[in-house]
Amino acid sequence: MNKKLLSVVVGLACMSSSAHAEIRINGFASIVAGQTLDDNTSLYGYDDDISYKNESMFALQLSSDLQDGLSATAQIVARGNEDFDAEFEWAYVSYQINDDLKVSGGKMRIPFYRYSDFLDVGYAYRWVRPPQSVYNFAFSTYEGLNLLHNTTLGDWDSTMQVIYGSFSGKVPSAAGATPEQIELNDLMGVNWTVSHDWFSARAAYIVADTTINASSIAGLTAALNGYGLTQQANNLLVDEDDGSFFGVGFSVDYDNFLFDAEYTQIEVTDSLLPDQTQYYASVGYRLNDWTVHLTYENNDDEHDSNRLNTVPVSIAGPNNTVVPVSLDPTNTNAPLLKDLTNQVYLGAKQESSTVTVGARYDFHPSAAFKIDLSRFNDDITDQDIDVLAVAIDLVF
Amino acid sequence: MKKLVSICLLCVSAYTSAEVAVIVNPNNNNTLDKGMISKIYLGKTKSYADGGKIKAVGQKGTAVAKAFTQNVVGKSSSQFKAYWSKLIFTGKGTPPDPLSSDQAVIDFVASNPLGIGYIDSAKVTDAVKVIGKF
Repeated sequence: MNKKLLSVVVGLACMSSSAHAEIRINGFASIVAGQTLDDNTSLYGYDDDISYKNESMFALQLSSDLQDGLSATAQIVARGNEDFDAEFEWAYVSYQINDDLKVSGGKMRIPFYRYSDFLDVGYAYRWVRPPQSVYNFAFSTYEGLNLLHNTTLGDWDSTMQVIYGSFSGKVPSAAGATPEQIELNDLMGVNWTVSHDWFSARAAYIVADTTINASSIAGLTAALNGYGLTQQANNLLVDEDDGSFFGVGFSVDYDNFLFDAEYTQIEVTDSLLPDQTQYYASVGYRLNDWTVHLTYENNDDEHDSNRLNTVPVSIAGPNNTVVPVSLDPTNTNAPLLKDLTNQVYLGAKQESSTVTVGARYDFHPSAAFKIDLSRFNDDITDQDIDVLAVAIDLVF
Repeated sequence: MKKLVSICLLCVSAYTSAEVAVIVNPNNNNTLDKGMISKIYLGKTKSYADGGKIKAVGQKGTAVAKAFTQNVVGKSSSQFKAYWSKLIFTGKGTPPDPLSSDQAVIDFVASNPLGIGYIDSAKVTDAVKVIGKF
């Protein structure tokens, strides 16, 4: 699919160059080396052996102005953690309707977060990676339409974006887990950013009809359905459930003082996915070509307690018998489905916080050096994991 | 510490003390203040007050470019580049074309009625009109 797309784009590029349209080539790259600092720990794709590949990436963007407001853009990204296989991250056609309004169609980034659109462009922010408690979505693009409206409200700049489309793809549900098929249909969202001088604020709301294949609970849901407990089975499955995302954030860039904060809420109703809330707050200070920063992040995932104990211990069988609702009704020691279901809900609970200190040094007009030390704390197991990473980010 | 900061600031201002002239075509009768010029170079303003479509050019890595981004836009070269990389790689904007010299900017502005650029103020010629010095 991507190969085909590549040849189409290259073909278009050749065609348009023969028609004297200008092709603009831009690119960016990050070379990152990192590792966890204790034996047998892993975080952000690192383990206790140094990796130069995990967060390194290389990207090229081709854009062509086709005149009269029409333009075509493709961004090809090769990530180290995907063996540098080049993939289209963005591929879209835009039409500038007027100075304020632009419509785009194709494959684009889902604008969840403040830094979503330029998540891969490390040069554009101060960390090695944006705060992962918040920036934790495994999928980040969609295919569809996007309407962008820029205007000024008095002294304020306003940018409003409306999106509509869908996403379909296999993504890992957790570190090391087998990738599962995810489908988002009727993906709709709006986000609004206002900024004035040193202050900017942003809010985003996105909904989607969400389906995620969850192979780990296939046995349990089959057993529930076997007892006719379809409601309880459906409450576990992520099958065309209402997914919603809400995020707010603001940032300050005053003199040399930087402050950023974002708060996000994610919910997929009647599914095994817990309600998730995340936030971070980050301060930074610029001293000539250096920026030093400190960030606190928090993630809290939990099911409402009323989701527990919805599966009966037993049901009435034929001839006034009582049949236990378990994996094997003939074995009195078989685990009860009630307990297994509770375990799924309780097992989804996650609480963690992360503190990152780091520095960025703009040693070249097109390149920055960064070093970040992050301490992740799992508040449930009280385990600490430290990750140290150094990076060179470039734009060209 | 404070002393160190002020010494560094002195170095920075000495480095960027070259006066920059913002120039337009002699036939362009729009007036622009520093804030409006800054907005043009940040891609926020796309048209002149009379409705003409702005054609802005910059300079590629020259001392004048550094002075301009510092004095007019109020950003360091790195910050300016980071700002534009956010827009470029998200399809939200294209930065002013970076030309290689003051003369290239003068030639562009002289031959484009809607052109705007910046040069070392000592290099200004009759072919262009200065709308501000910073």
